[in-house]
Amino acid sequence: MPEIFINGQSVPAEKNQTVMQAARAAGVFIPYFCWHPSLSVAGNCRICVVEVEAEGGGWVDIACNMPVSNGMRIRTDSEKVRAQRKATLQFITLNHPVDCGICDKAGECTLQDYHFAYNGSPSTSRDAKVRATKFFPLSERITLDNERCILCSRCVRFTREISKSNALGIKGRGDESLVRPTEDGLFDQDPYSENVVDLCPVGALLSKSFLYKARVWYLTSTPSVCPGCERGCTVKIWHRKHEWKLKSLDPRQNESIARVTPLENPAVNGPWICNKGRDLAKIFERARADQAMLKGKPVDLATAIDSARKLIANATRPAALVSSWGSNEELAAFKRTLGGRFATFVKQDWQPEPGERLEDDVLIRPDKNPNGAGARALFGAAAVVFDDATDLVLVWGEGFDFGRIPARAKIVFLNAYLQPENGHADAFLPISIQTERSGHYTNFEGTVSAFEACFRKKPSVVDAEALFAALATPQGVAA
Amino acid sequence: MTGRKLLMTFPVTATSHTLADYRARGGYAALAKALHHMSPEDVTKEVTASGLQGRGGANFPAGRKWSVVHLNDGQPHYLCANADEGEPGTFKDRWILEHAPHLLLESMLIASYALQVRNAFVYIRGEFDLPYRRLAAAVEEAYAAGYFGERILGTEFACDVVVYRGAGSYVCGEASALITSIEGKRGYPRNRPPRLTVRGLYQQPTVINNVETLSNIAGIITHGAEAFKQVGTPKNAGTRLISISGHINRPGVYEVECGYPWAKFLYEDCGGILNGRTLKCVIPGGISTKVLTRDEVEKLTLDQKALEAAGSSLGSGGMIVIAEGTCMVRLLQVMLRFYHHESCGQCTPCRDGMGWLHRIIDRIVAGEGRPEDIERMYEISAANDGTTICGMGDAAGYATVGILNKYRDEFEHYIEHKRSKFAGNLEAIAHA
Repeated sequence: MPEIFINGQSVPAEKNQTVMQAARAAGVFIPYFCWHPSLSVAGNCRICVVEVEAEGGGWVDIACNMPVSNGMRIRTDSEKVRAQRKATLQFITLNHPVDCGICDKAGECTLQDYHFAYNGSPSTSRDAKVRATKFFPLSERITLDNERCILCSRCVRFTREISKSNALGIKGRGDESLVRPTEDGLFDQDPYSENVVDLCPVGALLSKSFLYKARVWYLTSTPSVCPGCERGCTVKIWHRKHEWKLKSLDPRQNESIARVTPLENPAVNGPWICNKGRDLAKIFERARADQAMLKGKPVDLATAIDSARKLIANATRPAALVSSWGSNEELAAFKRTLGGRFATFVKQDWQPEPGERLEDDVLIRPDKNPNGAGARALFGAAAVVFDDATDLVLVWGEGFDFGRIPARAKIVFLNAYLQPENGHADAFLPISIQTERSGHYTNFEGTVSAFEACFRKKPSVVDAEALFAALATPQGVAA
Repeated sequence: MTGRKLLMTFPVTATSHTLADYRARGGYAALAKALHHMSPEDVTKEVTASGLQGRGGANFPAGRKWSVVHLNDGQPHYLCANADEGEPGTFKDRWILEHAPHLLLESMLIASYALQVRNAFVYIRGEFDLPYRRLAAAVEEAYAAGYFGERILGTEFACDVVVYRGAGSYVCGEASALITSIEGKRGYPRNRPPRLTVRGLYQQPTVINNVETLSNIAGIITHGAEAFKQVGTPKNAGTRLISISGHINRPGVYEVECGYPWAKFLYEDCGGILNGRTLKCVIPGGISTKVLTRDEVEKLTLDQKALEAAGSSLGSGGMIVIAEGTCMVRLLQVMLRFYHHESCGQCTPCRDGMGWLHRIIDRIVAGEGRPEDIERMYEISAANDGTTICGMGDAAGYATVGILNKYRDEFEHYIEHKRSKFAGNLEAIAHA
């Protein structure tokens, strides 16, 4: 195993590593724009230069493409390196508009950070900047500002190496090079397209859904798990910081998802998520059910729970459909409290939507529910069949056709969203959603990932875990 | 006469480029000699012993490049002839392609034999029309005569050649961009390491030689390395094809023996400076080499070592003669417009630096120069020196610094007076 010296410190390295990889593994920071741990080496930004010390002088070259060799001595912050990084940043900002004030990337922009770390002085150019396209619609989801683009080619390499859509390329030469779709509409069909927004080291590629929605420093992120399929990618759900709560504008904005980004996780999704995961607001911010009902008549929550408890207590052959969107904790609570009384089946809450990609070899999986594996581990994988004598069905979660329930059976329905079935149940109990509680999901490979609460639930809504305990108690307790 | 000749050894006629004429001159005898009497290692040894240096601009010893390729390693090897002659001022490979295409093909066959190459390529500049047609016809003739294909000259040796036309990019003349272009990709140069002789075309060991370099191989095999070394100087063996243009009475392609006196070449062989003017300076080997003043030129001999000692290079042999009265500011403007137009846009210093240099020089020429512009051009050139993926950033920097160092007064004059020290155009005639 070769040993190299970075800034005088001995650093162990693997045989086929580059200096960049060895330095990162040892916790030494080398700046980079175009390099990315999951992409091929392009070596075009030239900011990762380091100095190699050698007899009779040394040389400066890029760390991302420099193989380690035993005994090599690297300086990451020598005078030559600093001078070259400064010159490189002068080039990069030469035609960059430096419009950080109106740029969504400001606050999390690598160019901003490096400018202050390695350059710090204004442009020495007095000539007009090269103008290029603003708001180029790269796809239905993504807009491109070619003036901000530093042509690092990360997005192009992503579509070639990761999503394999080959949807992006660079056309033109020199300082008139432009990132463009290789064919019209091709990038729209790439279900991973929005990863290029995170990959972009500057504010060139922007998500249309997040455009001008918030300055990133007003936001905070909560670790969560995407419920879009059984892969269970870990994500960060971004929402307004408490201390920057909006008072005069629509207060619902304080409790809404600003955007979703990947939470890097080598065990499950690496640094990527698919576009469905970016659209969790479309799932979680549907109209919510927050009113308990008995046969469609609004009642308070405690009354509804009491009625449901009595229905369950009086049933002779009850059956239950548990949700594959329930957390491991909720599923375990059901089994512990009510499981013995019920013939239990696992329900697929979500089916693939028309046109949705079913499966590929990147991330997307065919089962569009996050915790099917966790539920099946507790309740088996038997198909839903009702006994003729079934006199009560507890339905937990959406997506089940009530027409399949025997006519004489009573229905206890737990749902979070405003749906017509809610009013058909004998007892309807509104429950909380994933962003309002914490818990764990088990993905199809058996990997367990945690999610945390981003927002507080309404008092008129109950957590399923607490509800099951209440339903199982003979006398009943207030929720 | 410009010394002994190795390549331009026959009178150019209407048929001198054909296979029949080439064979009448003894063509394809070297191939027979190599295939029947030499092992691949012998050929490489002979080329190494000859001291043949690359004629494309970098002067890298051909034998040393070849010996990096491991024979019998079970991998396919590739050979590419670089006929993407794009360095401004250079048009010497064109002469070989037009008048001696079989010399190139025979030499490529010998090189393919030495390097165990099954598939060889010629990457020819897209703008070349007659050279392409002549070369394509020569390939047809050579196939028909059995010099390409299976069982060449009755031996086990098999080789095919593909002529690939470029699409008009200066950078594609850079070896790694050239093979990337052959692979059908955008002609971007590649980062080294790996060297192309380790992982080149289709990720296999690949040797890329200039057309003129390769064309010397047949002669080296026929007459031996010793005979080749007898020509030229001890450090720079052989001859150089020089394409001379600019303010010179007889422009054209000349074969010059290395070490030939430069002044004699200019004033006698090429007929002196145009219209009886005085020599101002010469760009010796394509615009990427540093300009040499009249005093330097007249003292030097035409070989790489002498030019290197003077801080320049014989480069690609594209010699541009510049007469007194020419405005160097306008000259640099033309050069920088070229570099800006040809920068591939891959890596930062060249992509943005070339445009920056071009905008500055345009502004100076428009009479809006600022005193700090000269320093800025030095800075941009320095920031391109050794920092780019290929050599283009360096080359543009050398060209700029070369002119700024020697003719700074003209730039200062232009900036101060908002007009040229001379009439302001390249063809201005100083003599009264």
